[in-house]
Amino acid sequence: MKPAAFEYHRPDTLDEALALLAARAGEAKPLAGGQSLIPAMNFRLARPGVLVDLNRLAELAYVRPAEGGLRIGAMTRQRVVERSSAVQGAAPLLAEALPFVAHPQIRNRGTVGGSLAHADPAAELPAVMVALAARFEARSRSGSRTIPAAEFFTGLFGTALAPDELLVEIALPPLPARSATAFLEVARRHGDYALVGVAAVVTLDERGRCREARITLLSVGGGPVLAAEAARVLAGQTPSEDVVRAAAEAAATRDADPPSDIHASAGYRRHLAAVLTRRALVRAFERAGHVA
Amino acid sequence: MIVEGTFTFQGPRETVWELLQNPDVLVKVLPGAKRLVRAGEDRFDGVMQVGVGPVTAAEFTVSVMLKDKVPPQYYAMEVDSKGTLGFTRGSARVALEVLADGGTLMKYTAELQVGGKIAGVGQRLLDQVAKLMTRQGLEALNKELRARLAGGSSR
Amino acid sequence: MRRNEDARLLTGRALFVDDVQVEGMLHVAFLRSQHAHACLRTVDVAAARRRPGVVAVYTAADLGDYWRPGPLLVPPPPIAGLVFNACTQLPLARDKVRHVGEPIAMVVAESRYLAEDALDDVMVDAEPLAAVVDVEAALAPGAPLVHDHLPSNVAAHVVQRKGDYGRARAGAHATIRRRFRYDRGASAAIENRAVAAQWDPRAEELTVWDTTQAPIPIRNGLASLLGLLESQVRVIAPFVGGGFGPKIMMFYPEELLVPWAALRLGRPVKWTEDRQENFYATTQERGQVHDAELAIARDGKILGVRDVFLHDTGAYDPYGLTVPINSQCTLLGPYDVPTYESEFTAVFTNKTIVTPVRGAGRQHGVFVMERLLDFAAAELGIDRAEIRRRNLLRPEQFPHNHEIIFQDSAPLVYDSGDYAPALDEALRIIGYERFVRDEQPRLRAAGRHVGIGVVCYVEGTGIGPYEGARVTVEPSGRVRVATGVGTQGQGHFTAFAQIVAEVLGVDVERVHVITGDTREFHWGTGTFASRGAVVAGSACHAAALAVRERILDVASRHLEAAKQDLELADGHVRVRGAPDSAVSLGELALKANPLRGAVRPGTEPGLEATAYFGPARGSTANGVHAAIVEVDPETALVEVRRYVVVHDSGRVINPLLVDGQIQGGVAHGIGNAFYEQLVYDENGQLLNASFMDYLLPTATDVPPVETAHRETPSPLNPLGVKGVGEAGAIPTGAAFAQAVEDALSDYGVEITEIPLSPNRLFELITQAGRGGAGGRPKR
Repeated sequence: MKPAAFEYHRPDTLDEALALLAARAGEAKPLAGGQSLIPAMNFRLARPGVLVDLNRLAELAYVRPAEGGLRIGAMTRQRVVERSSAVQGAAPLLAEALPFVAHPQIRNRGTVGGSLAHADPAAELPAVMVALAARFEARSRSGSRTIPAAEFFTGLFGTALAPDELLVEIALPPLPARSATAFLEVARRHGDYALVGVAAVVTLDERGRCREARITLLSVGGGPVLAAEAARVLAGQTPSEDVVRAAAEAAATRDADPPSDIHASAGYRRHLAAVLTRRALVRAFERAGHVA
Repeated sequence: MIVEGTFTFQGPRETVWELLQNPDVLVKVLPGAKRLVRAGEDRFDGVMQVGVGPVTAAEFTVSVMLKDKVPPQYYAMEVDSKGTLGFTRGSARVALEVLADGGTLMKYTAELQVGGKIAGVGQRLLDQVAKLMTRQGLEALNKELRARLAGGSSR
Repeated sequence: MRRNEDARLLTGRALFVDDVQVEGMLHVAFLRSQHAHACLRTVDVAAARRRPGVVAVYTAADLGDYWRPGPLLVPPPPIAGLVFNACTQLPLARDKVRHVGEPIAMVVAESRYLAEDALDDVMVDAEPLAAVVDVEAALAPGAPLVHDHLPSNVAAHVVQRKGDYGRARAGAHATIRRRFRYDRGASAAIENRAVAAQWDPRAEELTVWDTTQAPIPIRNGLASLLGLLESQVRVIAPFVGGGFGPKIMMFYPEELLVPWAALRLGRPVKWTEDRQENFYATTQERGQVHDAELAIARDGKILGVRDVFLHDTGAYDPYGLTVPINSQCTLLGPYDVPTYESEFTAVFTNKTIVTPVRGAGRQHGVFVMERLLDFAAAELGIDRAEIRRRNLLRPEQFPHNHEIIFQDSAPLVYDSGDYAPALDEALRIIGYERFVRDEQPRLRAAGRHVGIGVVCYVEGTGIGPYEGARVTVEPSGRVRVATGVGTQGQGHFTAFAQIVAEVLGVDVERVHVITGDTREFHWGTGTFASRGAVVAGSACHAAALAVRERILDVASRHLEAAKQDLELADGHVRVRGAPDSAVSLGELALKANPLRGAVRPGTEPGLEATAYFGPARGSTANGVHAAIVEVDPETALVEVRRYVVVHDSGRVINPLLVDGQIQGGVAHGIGNAFYEQLVYDENGQLLNASFMDYLLPTATDVPPVETAHRETPSPLNPLGVKGVGEAGAIPTGAAFAQAVEDALSDYGVEITEIPLSPNRLFELITQAGRGGAGGRPKR
């Protein structure tokens, strides 16, 4: 389990990093926290010819309040985000989900941007970002563009990033009034890949009806799955046990298309998707001030 | 591992059949295909480079034998591929049906053995990778088909 | 008391094999089979040999006369009618590969990186064959053969009987019959295997550093295989990061090939197994399928047991029948079982070799018996603890002969035990009665599913043949103890030191223990079967007693006092009642080794003695495990609330070490019960060959274990001790099966298999419940 030979660069600035990626596009692989890439290289599943180590790019490590929401630099360590009071205040869903990301040792090293760009279908952060309607800033030598989270993830480990582009910042908009969130996950052991996870953002109207529900599921498809059918069931409804159960059922049977693996059959995953969606919605509605 | 499903092509069955037997087309549409040549009446040999997410180093030599052909409605395949990350072996059955709207319905079933490192560390993703690659290949073929019908691609 | 070895371990000063660095050292990578079963047509290594940095590439063809099957480690015991087909492992596959990961070629290069690069250059042409995976399918007519020269995949067939089960069954009130399955896991030691070897042409000595649990047999075997004198081979098993059984296998191909290559190339060579290799190439354990039946009287008394089982031995069977015979013998447990009929068939499959892993087949026996008793209790309407109590052997029944043959070829005779109080103590600690009467109904009414499990077991430990030790008092007054057994974290440096310290009257910290270096001690067998403290500990004790006699001889002359008037304490010898007479052991050591003058004829120098100990047979430890779990029937997740172990391993040398063994064993057992399963597909491919998918319990999955010790001394050794190395891991699966079943009693779930993943439990709940995902309670 020793990696194949590779060329290694450790730029000091973002501009240098982007220049390297542009010069060696297709060959160069950015190295963030290395919690997925390095094992893949040691297994020799990945043999990038060139590694561009981003760990010197202090300019990409920050959590900043902005426009009622947050801006998070892509190289911010997951553990920093998890412990940030700004995050706990403005994006409690993110704070609630992060402890499910592997183990503290891994979060100390793993970065927010690294996890998002890796786009593992079982990862928590992509699902959270889609639920929160985050906007990602991608930058290359030729400029910068903003990509809505829901469009960023294009399927199994796929993202909208071009080979010479880097994800540099995640912008989280403020939650609308009368909103609340919840995150739940089932994994075989704490810190394992989720068998199923659910991130829920619910917004009530003045009369306590569900104005909007953004529910994302993880580990039930090629990427984070935005449960549109479940949202439709909830829209305009006063949250009740029956409504929540129907929404959970819709998420599990119509939104999710879960895979089977040795840890969980598609059937078990579907069942968990229903249970977790129901529990997450109950929790989110309770937090939004609604008592069913 | 069993991969099965259906796919609808927007074009007549004869053309779909013809494309499916043409290595020059297949090399364009199969994800990761780097080379594919006819090595016999019903045999294709080639090289595929599979890249999914963190896996970028999976190069396989592939050989495909077509069997039991009933043009333009049915054929079977024996597939054998190997590389340093492992191997896949297996068989597939493909049936093509004419649809009322002039399209073609493909029904496919493949039974694959996967071995070596990809089996040992990749189990979580095998199911999804197989589905993804199949879908990508079929969609690309459908695109090629439509381009051809529109006269947009040369023979 | 602190452990003597911890300072070195915790500060990173302990030597592990991979720490061995010698100038000019070469590194090895192995090309391993991707197929579970295939004919090898050609192995082309020409391109690999040409790669810069590659020093040598070897295939079976290069080994010449060194290519021969490994030794049969444990010949089968003398059981009438026994069938055993020995097929031991090969250094490099030649004509056929029989499991994924079997080595085909060995690359030696200037670095491990380069060696791994060269693996890509080796071209293997293999013709895949249908694989033998499932033990039942393996025995079907026409099944592919793992070993072509045999008529079937039967590796062994053994029947053992006690009394007339058929007659017992005819008179039974009820018979309980079930099929039980226990699947395979990995030993998953924190340190993988490693071998380094250096040939010193001037000294004509081969030094081998090896993670083995049995350095002396490895030395002897290597000398024989390589044509050297035993004294020319020094095997060092330094600190080893966990053994758990697989590190006593010999010879692993790598264990022979690395020293062979060092000799052949005249350069030091090292190979360290990586985790991926470990999943394929280090032996595993635990696949068995049992069809068992219990004949029981109305009052819950066991009348007899019949068990027919299949044991998956993997592709080769170098370790003989230790594992299935342990299953067979351990099934009887602490119970009075008047009749027993047990038949097993060991089966070759295209999977990694099976040899003992902590518990070594005992788990299966305990699981079958304890589950049968649970089903019988339900059938007869007897409390689960009570049915056990009614069948426990009573103190006056010891020694108790079960009339069948154990793995050490001796009859299965329990030396001593006091079982009922251990059960009572476990019930008391976990609050069994209160839980069943109050807590469980109260929580159930609140919609929570909690359950309790209580299981009993015995463990055959401390088997022969023998171990030895040499104890030396040095002029510094410090004491040196050398034994042959290797150490893998058990605490030998402390336990052996305590035994010697107590006899010699010195501080434990003043006793320096050396294990696992054949230059220091070269008689003995190794660390396995929970035998270190029993056998090597007793040898340390005997050697210490002999040294004590020498000390008293020398002191008696020096102090001009009768030996019976002397006492040893604080590293000194004194005349009793005359504190000023004290002379230190160091001074006596100097006096015992005069540089000039004359000694009395027959005098041996120094305060040193060597002694050996071999027990007549193994000693039998016992215990009770009790667990409380909570199950979420919707998610099928199980949470362990409490875990209690009452354990009797005879006299306890060091409670800290015993607790540690039990805590670690229970962790191992929790892994077995819920997480650890090697998943092979129908083609013999291992689908979870990394810690990404092979799940070991972590700190958050293992509760603190509440332990209590009982001490029923063994009459078979002077210390009265019994082994404890495996106890924690043995009944764990049975305890959890009972507890989870109890928690889900209103669903009617029946658990007859281990491990129990959430996916599997979900299936069981769904099947048991009346439709609907996740099921609904029956009432």
